[in-house]
Amino acid sequence: MSLLYSLARALDRFSPAPVAYAHCDIPCGIYDPHHAQMAAHTVVRMIDLINQLEKPGPNATPEQRQEYNAKLARYVFVKEQHAEIAKAEVRILWGDYFKPDHLKTFPDLHDLVWKALKSGSKARQEINLQAAEDLLKATNDIASIYWKTKGLETITVKAPYPTERQTVYPKFR
Amino acid sequence: MFPLHRFRIEDESMRPTLEPGDYVLVNRWAYRVRPPRRGDLVVVRDPELSDRFLVKRVSETQASTQIHLEGDNAAVSRDSRAFGAVPLDRIVGKVWLRLKP
Repeated sequence: MSLLYSLARALDRFSPAPVAYAHCDIPCGIYDPHHAQMAAHTVVRMIDLINQLEKPGPNATPEQRQEYNAKLARYVFVKEQHAEIAKAEVRILWGDYFKPDHLKTFPDLHDLVWKALKSGSKARQEINLQAAEDLLKATNDIASIYWKTKGLETITVKAPYPTERQTVYPKFR
Repeated sequence: MFPLHRFRIEDESMRPTLEPGDYVLVNRWAYRVRPPRRGDLVVVRDPELSDRFLVKRVSETQASTQIHLEGDNAAVSRDSRAFGAVPLDRIVGKVWLRLKP
């Protein structure tokens, strides 16, 4: 602790220093691209599961068909839900966090957001692995920009999820 | 009157230059000698709340009657982009020394 800092703090006991606010806007400033990335991984995972699901053959029993239908319905439900979550999270970052200043440094941000939303919709509507991969890539690219605006480098690693796709993490010091 | 005043920093719009809890020593006479320049760190009376002080960086000077202020952490800062130019008589002084733990 520097001497002058200690002195300033000690002085506060006798006469508190007035506060100079490095004032922030009311929005809470709490943002994280991780939600969007996780939702995108979930969409990929659901499509993987749907593609791995064994379709009932012509001789399948009613019980086997029922089980197939129930699994498919669950995967589709979660896929659609998480595609929507990914889109909502991207919109929050785009509308609330990113500012025109950021666009000067990252001019392709609007395009990335647009790609995330479009591929998110497609991944929701269809059983389309490519659309889900595109959604994941767009959320990773947005995450990379987000962390750069926070002055942090990022690393791209294999996610510790069953998707085993790539994901972007900040390198905290 | 003693020219140096100390202020304690709160809030995050000047990160990483100033963190909450830092102190600054402000020279109240700095602008008797020369006008504010772009890049100066200044303490001003908040144009939106007159009994509050703000610390910001001068981003632009205009016709030597007013300045534009911006936070170093521009993404969260409330500054001249929201409340416009600030008249020179709102300036308390120039940050002369930053005291960090």
